[in-house]
Amino acid sequence: MNRLGYIILYLCLGAVAVFQILPIVWLFLFSLKSNQQIFAGAPFALPKEWEWENYLKVWEGGIGTYFFNSVWITAVAIIFTALFASMATYAITRMQWKLNKLVLGLFMVGLMIPIHSAIIPLFSMFLNVNLIDNPWSIVITYTGYNLPITMMILLGFYYTLPREIEEAAIIDGCSIHRMFFRIILPMTTPVLSTIVIINMIYNWNEFVFVNTFISSDKYKTLTVGIQNFIGQYMTDWGAIGATLIISLLPILIAFIFFSNKVVEGISSSAVKG
Amino acid sequence: MKNEKEEDNLFMVYPFLSLKGGRIMNKVMSNKWMITIYILPALLLVGILIFIPIILTAYYGLMEWNGIGAMKFIGLENYIQAVQDKKFWDSAYHSFLLAIFSTLSLVVYLAVSMILASKIKGADLLRKIYLIPMLLSSVAIAQLWIKVFNPTNGILNQFLMFLGVEKPPIWLANPDIVLYAIFIPILWQYAGFYILIYYAALKNIPNSLIEAAKIDGATPFQIAYKIKLPLIMGVVKVTIVLAIVGSLKYFDLIYVMTNGGPNGASEVMASYMYKLAFSTNDFGYGSAIGFLLLIITLVVTIIIRRLTASDEEVQY
Amino acid sequence: MNKKAVTLFLALALMLLAMVGCSGAEESNSASGEKTIEFMHLWPEGSSAKHNKIVSDIVADFESQNEGVTVDVEVLSNEQYKNKIKVLATSDELPDVGMTWAAGYLKPYVEGNKFAPLDDVLEGELAGSFVSGTTEPYAVDGSTYGLPLELNIANIFYNKAIFEKYGLEAPETYEELKNVVKTLKENDVAPIALGNKDRWTGSMWYMYFADRIGGAEVLTEAISGGGSFEDPSLIKAAEKVQELVDMGAFIRGFNGISDQEAKSMFMNEQAAMYLIATWDLPNYTTNEEVPQEFRDSVGYFKFPTVNGKGDKNSYVGGPGVGMFVAENSDVKAEAKEFVSFFIKEWGEKSVKDAGVIPATKVDTESMELPQMYVNVLNDLNNASNLTLYADVQMSSDAAQVHLNQIQALFGGEVTPEQFTEAHEEALSK
Repeated sequence: MNRLGYIILYLCLGAVAVFQILPIVWLFLFSLKSNQQIFAGAPFALPKEWEWENYLKVWEGGIGTYFFNSVWITAVAIIFTALFASMATYAITRMQWKLNKLVLGLFMVGLMIPIHSAIIPLFSMFLNVNLIDNPWSIVITYTGYNLPITMMILLGFYYTLPREIEEAAIIDGCSIHRMFFRIILPMTTPVLSTIVIINMIYNWNEFVFVNTFISSDKYKTLTVGIQNFIGQYMTDWGAIGATLIISLLPILIAFIFFSNKVVEGISSSAVKG
Repeated sequence: MKNEKEEDNLFMVYPFLSLKGGRIMNKVMSNKWMITIYILPALLLVGILIFIPIILTAYYGLMEWNGIGAMKFIGLENYIQAVQDKKFWDSAYHSFLLAIFSTLSLVVYLAVSMILASKIKGADLLRKIYLIPMLLSSVAIAQLWIKVFNPTNGILNQFLMFLGVEKPPIWLANPDIVLYAIFIPILWQYAGFYILIYYAALKNIPNSLIEAAKIDGATPFQIAYKIKLPLIMGVVKVTIVLAIVGSLKYFDLIYVMTNGGPNGASEVMASYMYKLAFSTNDFGYGSAIGFLLLIITLVVTIIIRRLTASDEEVQY
Repeated sequence: MNKKAVTLFLALALMLLAMVGCSGAEESNSASGEKTIEFMHLWPEGSSAKHNKIVSDIVADFESQNEGVTVDVEVLSNEQYKNKIKVLATSDELPDVGMTWAAGYLKPYVEGNKFAPLDDVLEGELAGSFVSGTTEPYAVDGSTYGLPLELNIANIFYNKAIFEKYGLEAPETYEELKNVVKTLKENDVAPIALGNKDRWTGSMWYMYFADRIGGAEVLTEAISGGGSFEDPSLIKAAEKVQELVDMGAFIRGFNGISDQEAKSMFMNEQAAMYLIATWDLPNYTTNEEVPQEFRDSVGYFKFPTVNGKGDKNSYVGGPGVGMFVAENSDVKAEAKEFVSFFIKEWGEKSVKDAGVIPATKVDTESMELPQMYVNVLNDLNNASNLTLYADVQMSSDAAQVHLNQIQALFGGEVTPEQFTEAHEEALSK
């Protein structure tokens, strides 16, 4: 490609990048403004008075507990989802049995349920097994509801795994578990990182389930904490902005970490054709 | 395609490998116990958490129930009402429009991913920046874009007025354009999601194939279209399904941004269902709509999969 | 490796079992005679700090005066609160005490036998303490199921500074209002802030026109089925709405703007007038976060008469949230006692600390209140009629039609005739 072509290409890519990043800048600015400034001022104007109190207000509102809950619930649910989804995808794509297409179809139907029609049945189910107001109900629900989409993403990758590797392993007397944990899982690192990122975002930002199944403050997560700042007759936007920034930071860091893993995983996996 | 080629190579080196390995493999890989162990945890979770609610939704759809008092069985009345409900079909039409937009936008995402994956300078940083909107929750994104679209104070209209547009559109209040306006943040929100998936898929393509093509004198465009695209076709098909299913049940952003308004101009199936079940106290009818949403999504998905299935691969 | 994997899997399975099994043991509180009242409200600390504080104080007082009774409080914001109550109701798991809205919202819960009648409380300890007319919207078939906490009326608030600048005065009649709009338009000031994405906001404009043109009863009669929605005055009211819209009286894009955004435009002097109920009073009087200068420049006027018709002392408004006691509560007696205690404490505290106009009679003489409160309280005393918000009066089905039609009417998508026809059809169902 010639020079001009590159310049145009980079200009386009740069424009998209600006388009994608501006909101974060805006969010940060508004987290430091008072309500009046947010609504009246230009969106990208610097705050007239830097309202760091917004952050203080949020932190004093007991967001620490919410934060901790968000972290562990997100993490545990991701581990379950990644493990179970990998296992099931492995069974469906690599093992030989008659009903695999049907079972796969069932998982795909699971993708299609509108969440809001599931809430009331789920609530009464958890009520029956005494899991209401118990964080495990959230972990289980996240795991279950992320399985279909996670499996869909894994599927495309599992089909492309070369069969010869498994054959060679089996001739060496390798068991299925060993093959799965030692060979297949490491080979899928790039896509595992991808699904970890996607699951992380979903779990971290989810709030309908938490709101419905959890009533004690000590089990609530960050997204519900954010909702606490949206009141009946007024809305404290500065505080919402601060909460959003606080809730965005960890996931941003985790995202950058796992995002690098995607690349690392690719370059380090020696099994590539 | 790729597998065949590699198999040929292996046969040449180890003539008996595939035969022998294949036999043992078949035995190991059809062990019923192992299959059960591997599939069961996921199947149980999805069965209990998703399928029971689906069945219950269909069942509630047969009831006249406000969600509070007693249920009354009314057979298929809710479903019949839904089929004749103009508002439902309007909302379905809006959902379908979103599905079409979303599917078309995949082309853009794919093109961007191809550029990023082709080892240009700064690709890594750009990729991360592109993905950032995905980290925000839908509620946050909705709040942000409400502000962007504000007719007098929003950055969009301020920019247009700066360019000399005298009466810039009132994005979210004009029933003729509200749906298109809403699609902009959806496009923005999901860019990261699909670029992430495409990028991982593209990086999975063996370098040797691309190098070989380059030596043969293929242009970057040819490489992208003739080599990369076919190789990640499986992933592309998955994303088409995800985009369509996701759009047909799309809810939160629209609910916060316009609440389906003005006067239903941006109502989609899921928001219509939600309003019936939670605001209008028509839980039975809302459940029927929810179940129809699922059936419609299922039918569309099956049709799409039929259309995109190529001859040689009848995979998944 | 094989063993390891199996162990790992078993461990996971056990964990799943454990969480299902163990969780049952946690809740066994009522064994020792301790009683717990579950209480849900919708004033989170983050957004309604003052309300939240009052509630906490009242709860603490109640607990200290009632040995052996604890109140378990759950706080959710408005929208989430409504959702959760709905889900809880389907499983018959309502909290012992919670918040409800009047009329159309309350009715299905009463018919589904979820709320306990509170007549004994109302006629007992709380006899005579409510402002007359405030508990009626909470009554179904002669029994009262909710006890209101607030009472609000809608007025047009206006920016005196802007009015002064253009030599305008608070309008007494619709003609004068139109002149004000005209003058403001000529000077490039947006006349009226309206966030009609929320729809009940536009509904208040329509209701006031209906009240002024057709009298206090015509809308209520049409909704209750006693009259027709195709009454000429109701069509006329819709015409007036569109007349204002065509004049450009409302801010640009009002159908896509939330009430919150519209309010901000008013509060940032981007619009000169704003029709809202008196729950907003603190913003114009005591709220320290609003600049003093702005608060001083806000006044209000009653909705003007139209063509010489209408009684300016007839208001759109009504009680806000009220408290209910769950019918299936296992601590019903304590719950009722709590509600009664709460209402008694709420009145004075809420006016003083949160700027709420309570639904109970409060001796305001002894309190130091901003002048605007004194005026509003006087208005309330002289009110000839209070018409409850249309969407609250209607059943939830009809309310959705009404709200959508309001948006269509303001957006010019329907004619006044179509507007009333759609209502007649929805209400006759």
